[in-house]
Amino acid sequence: MPHIALPEGFPGISALMVYRPETAQPLNQLAQGLLRGHDTLTAADCELIATYVSSLNDCYYCQSIHGAIAAHHLNGDEQLVLDVKQNYETSAISDKLRALLAIARKVWEGGKNVTGDDIERARQHGANDLDIHDTVLIAAAFCMYNRYVDGLATWQPRDPEFYRWRGAVVGEEGYLNLKRERIANS
Amino acid sequence: MNSDMQPMYLPDVENNPQPSFQAETIRQLQAKGAEYPQILHLFAYRPAMTAHLTRFTREVMRGESPLSEGFRELIAAYTSAGNQCLF
Repeated sequence: MPHIALPEGFPGISALMVYRPETAQPLNQLAQGLLRGHDTLTAADCELIATYVSSLNDCYYCQSIHGAIAAHHLNGDEQLVLDVKQNYETSAISDKLRALLAIARKVWEGGKNVTGDDIERARQHGANDLDIHDTVLIAAAFCMYNRYVDGLATWQPRDPEFYRWRGAVVGEEGYLNLKRERIANS
Repeated sequence: MNSDMQPMYLPDVENNPQPSFQAETIRQLQAKGAEYPQILHLFAYRPAMTAHLTRFTREVMRGESPLSEGFRELIAAYTSAGNQCLF
């Protein structure tokens, strides 16, 4: 049960966004800017970084919804999402994404833990400054989103079908102007 | 650069401030040879994205709330101290 009186039937961060639309708008715009990818970092890469950091923070909702969005961008490859969460070092991803996930992990531990060697490893595998910049901001932003969602004990459904459905919607439509729909609280 | 400052990890970020309030602030501080916080470079690098962070911060810190602005800044300062972020 949430720690404060939130609108019922909205899972995870949706309840907080309906509760406080003033802060929801820039948070969604930031997510849109961060997670839709650019020339050298795909939306799937960005969503995998967000999913991985959310799993480190043990945030069920965020790792499930962003994992589902990542899988949507990966033609439904849920196994790869699981592999990245369990051990990205051995998963079937590019060396560049592996190096970026290592940076994301350091940001999760604490920003000062990121070293010049971490940056150099990413560069050697083809990451440019924008890739590294976005990786650090995604990791830092998700430490915030995860704490926001769990710090108020939002309702987080356990039905994987919900996340598949919602992941496909967000994967197609992005984060702006998303319709927030009440779903059955089962 | 002020001699007390270290170069950032990402030279593209440090050398390419885009037109923004923060870029103007950097220009003025550099002209004075002053030491300045490099978060300004982060916000000036991709203003289209970081403008949302600025608006979020303004809403959380200055928007309508039963918590006073001073108390909200104390929460931010206390959390930043917990994260050992000097700035």
